[in-house]
Amino acid sequence: MSRSLVISLVLIIAGIAVFISASKDVSTYANFKQATNNGKVKIVGTLAKDMPMKYDPQNTPNEFEFFLNDNEGVVKKVILHQPKPQDFEMSEQIVVTGEMQDDVFNASEILMKCPSKYKNEEIELKGDVSGL
Amino acid sequence: MNNISYIGEHLWVGQVGHFAIILGFVSALFSAFCYFVSTKNRANISEAESWKRLGRLSFIIHGTMIITLISVLFFAMYNHYYEYNYVFAHVSEDLPLKYILSAFWEGQEGSFLLWMFWHIVLSIFVVRSAGKFEAPVMFIFAIAQLLIVSMILGIHIPWGEDAIRIGSNPTTLLRQVNEAPIFANADYLSLIKGRGLNPLLQNYWMTIHPPVLFLGFASTIVPFAYAFAGLWLNDHKGWLKQSLHWSLFSAGALGTGILLGSLWAYVALSFGGYWAWDPVENASLVPWILIIAGIHVHIVSQNSGYSRRSVYFFYLMSFIMILYSTFLTRSGVLGDTSAHAFTEMGLETQLILLVSFFTVAGLGLFIYRYKEIKNPEKEEELPSREFWMFIGALILLFSATLITISTSLPVFNKIMAYFNPAYEGQVIQDPVEHFNKYQMWIAVFIAILSGLTMFLRFGGKNWEMQRRKFFKKLPIYISISILITLATSMVINFYAWQYWVLGISTVFGMVSNFDYIIEKFRTKYKMSWAALAHFGFSMMILGTITSGLNQRHISTNPFVFREIFTENDVKKYVQLIKGQPLFSQGYLITYVNDSLIDRERHYKINFQKLNDSMEVVEDFDLYPNSIYENDFSKVAAFNPDTKHYFGKDIFTCVVSLPPSLMSLEEARKVEDSIKYIPRLLAIHDTFHVEGLIIKVDSISFNPVNSDYNNHTHEAGIEVVLDVEDTKLDKKYKLYPAIGFEDALLYQYQQPVIEAGVRIKLGEKMLERYFTPDDQMNYQDFTIKNGDSFTYKGYTFSLDGFDKAPTHPNYNAEAGDLALGAKLSVNNGKMYETVLPIYVIRDKQPMSVKSYSPMTGFHIRFSNIDPEKETFSFKIAQDDRAANFVELDIATDIPRNDYVILQATIFPAINLFWVGSILMMIGLLLGARDRYIKLKTTK
Repeated sequence: MSRSLVISLVLIIAGIAVFISASKDVSTYANFKQATNNGKVKIVGTLAKDMPMKYDPQNTPNEFEFFLNDNEGVVKKVILHQPKPQDFEMSEQIVVTGEMQDDVFNASEILMKCPSKYKNEEIELKGDVSGL
Repeated sequence: MNNISYIGEHLWVGQVGHFAIILGFVSALFSAFCYFVSTKNRANISEAESWKRLGRLSFIIHGTMIITLISVLFFAMYNHYYEYNYVFAHVSEDLPLKYILSAFWEGQEGSFLLWMFWHIVLSIFVVRSAGKFEAPVMFIFAIAQLLIVSMILGIHIPWGEDAIRIGSNPTTLLRQVNEAPIFANADYLSLIKGRGLNPLLQNYWMTIHPPVLFLGFASTIVPFAYAFAGLWLNDHKGWLKQSLHWSLFSAGALGTGILLGSLWAYVALSFGGYWAWDPVENASLVPWILIIAGIHVHIVSQNSGYSRRSVYFFYLMSFIMILYSTFLTRSGVLGDTSAHAFTEMGLETQLILLVSFFTVAGLGLFIYRYKEIKNPEKEEELPSREFWMFIGALILLFSATLITISTSLPVFNKIMAYFNPAYEGQVIQDPVEHFNKYQMWIAVFIAILSGLTMFLRFGGKNWEMQRRKFFKKLPIYISISILITLATSMVINFYAWQYWVLGISTVFGMVSNFDYIIEKFRTKYKMSWAALAHFGFSMMILGTITSGLNQRHISTNPFVFREIFTENDVKKYVQLIKGQPLFSQGYLITYVNDSLIDRERHYKINFQKLNDSMEVVEDFDLYPNSIYENDFSKVAAFNPDTKHYFGKDIFTCVVSLPPSLMSLEEARKVEDSIKYIPRLLAIHDTFHVEGLIIKVDSISFNPVNSDYNNHTHEAGIEVVLDVEDTKLDKKYKLYPAIGFEDALLYQYQQPVIEAGVRIKLGEKMLERYFTPDDQMNYQDFTIKNGDSFTYKGYTFSLDGFDKAPTHPNYNAEAGDLALGAKLSVNNGKMYETVLPIYVIRDKQPMSVKSYSPMTGFHIRFSNIDPEKETFSFKIAQDDRAANFVELDIATDIPRNDYVILQATIFPAINLFWVGSILMMIGLLLGARDRYIKLKTTK
């Protein structure tokens, strides 16, 4: 058996092994129902705007509470273990990474999709002619 | 709207720009055609030569056009020609001049121009030295330019209902892209202002990182073009010699560009690290890995004739992956998986075309020629340098493939969703962990191979002799590496066996390459660039273990290590109240104050390092800052500040502020939510609120409140309060005051931040003491000069007149007849002189009231009787007797004198920076060495 054949075989086997082991690193976005007893997951949803948000930087600067409406329409409380992100209220979509614990989703990371800042923005006028 | 002749537009910019784009496009096309024909007819030397000259000429025209376009666009930006959309979108009046360049390449169009600019610059050098490969190499350049120019062509081709849009022209007028009522105004230009540069990008990194990165991007075309030329001409050897320095240069430039990006992320952005495996970062890393692999097999095939096919493959793929990364970052496909891609522009189809063209042409030709690329019959020797270098290149390929597959997941999702709309997209749950987990083993292999292979020889020459030396050195290296790693583990924690393996291998890579440099330095020091680059690589990886794995948050207590503590325990951030020191991790941290510089607010954070007996051993300040939006409406971003040591960095970043300081809107909300409750109190009354005991001490008509005294008020009132804070055990005075000026009231409330209390005076108080004129009960008195009268226990005497009287409420006009009466007020205890004024303006008499705040008298000079020589006054006094004080008190006010801070120690992060810089120096020295060699052999 030639050496290059051995090398290619080793590489292919290693590749398959990595592929199989890495396949558990990926998953679809979960919803709250699937997140229960399921370890660390990513949930995609929108901010439940009619529910209260709580951020008390004086006492718990590392905790921000809000309610998330997942894609199935289930609303659950999320505790983000970070300060409240900027422009949070403006988010169109929220992806949180974390775990479900006692009906509360403990999130360690957050990604927000915000409306593009400069899109469809009206042409800004100089300050003194705002009456026009 | 088209019939309006607009005022102030500079239409020539657009005309020149449009012309330059069209001619630039056509000349690139013609140049590609000429170079193609020249290559095709290379057998006929004279014909090939004349086509080549024609191709060169049209490429010069092309280059001139692109540089013209860059110049006029830059000119328009420099002069704020807002009639152009690109200028409008990226520049504003308040943008400092030094950021014009950054603004130029902030947008997609500008960065395409930057890319083409570098291609043109590189082509000048390539044409000079390409020799017989010029025509096919320049054919690739011209085609690349053609496809990139098409991105800024800005042509609309009617296609059924819609139009196909090809590219986006940066010299399009604002009114051509926007439909707004303002364009009905011929003078609209005097009304609009530019949007300006994103405040996040307003720093010098944005000036240096993009040009270097794009130079790296652009330079990867050279190895591609040479490989393509080699395949086309079926000459698989000649081009190798001519292009190695280009590949090394390209790897150096691209690597430096990436490194500047991660340096930017670390020192200026609040990312809290230098590498995050973000898709945009990965997209530029993959071509770099491939070109590094290409360089290794390039050297192999030059020295031994092996690996020729892989040289082609790596160089072709490197440029193809550059194009693919362009597609990823510019098409919007990354969507919510990346923190920093370009904004979408509708160029997806064109970008796909760009990638596909070079993939099909490059790989197609490679497959077509595959059989003709000959390798030596015999397999490589096992103990030969070429064999292990080839293995190293394969491992790099493995690494690049893994990164590419993971990064392409959003693309895969999009394709699946295209065929099956119900398909649910897959995401990587924890990208950093995912990439680190696999790439760390790649690093282990590379570090070991880079050390071992240096001591092997090409062709396994003299292996019998070498062997003894090799196996004598190997155990020495290994034992030294283990010893150094063990010593390191006293200060650096390796946590798990995997990290021990990585640690030992990287130290091994450093030790062995260091020894190689020492050994070769005397004889072949020019050749040690490779060892230097390898040494740098190992050092860089070691730096990621020390600084990444061992980072320690001062702004918290537990050490950060994800496998040991659950993530929720890792509290990275801490609240720091102004003036209240916080002790953590041996440091006393104090938020001292803040100051506004331009749009940045700098927070002075003082660090005092204490030793075991609590003595200060070190004292320094750091200034992390926050940047406001261009209109100051809210905080746009936070930037860190870092204290650099030889052995570690202390990194601080403000990550959040009190809501009322984050945005005007929040501030308004907080202000609106404050509810004041009125309280009526007598002098010397005492009341309790939120742990404060407050006693009303006195009322004063000469306020001492410093804010009050920064204004010139006509009159005012202040209540002095004695406060005892039972929680903090402090006693002090508060001075809420109220003043009026030009019929406006000014409230000077007093906050007690610790208790969340705010106290202001009730507005009714002012009314009580400063009764409005129409509610006043005036008494009339008429006397002669020098006489006096008594009213309410005070004696008033008229002591003469002032013929040019002044008073804050009296503005003298020409033609006024004004007379001020000097009236003294005296009750035996108090003495005061007032000056009421009688004025005749336009034959109308009027009087200017004088007010004595001490006594509460309102005095008007109401009439003069010239015949009797008498003077009349109207006098009233406000209700001084009622000693009641009205206070408005609000509680539960959120305090706003703090920052939320992250402070992290990155141990030995300099290993990472120095290592990566050494690697780049190694690559660039290699480029220089190979260039000199090429010159001398000619």
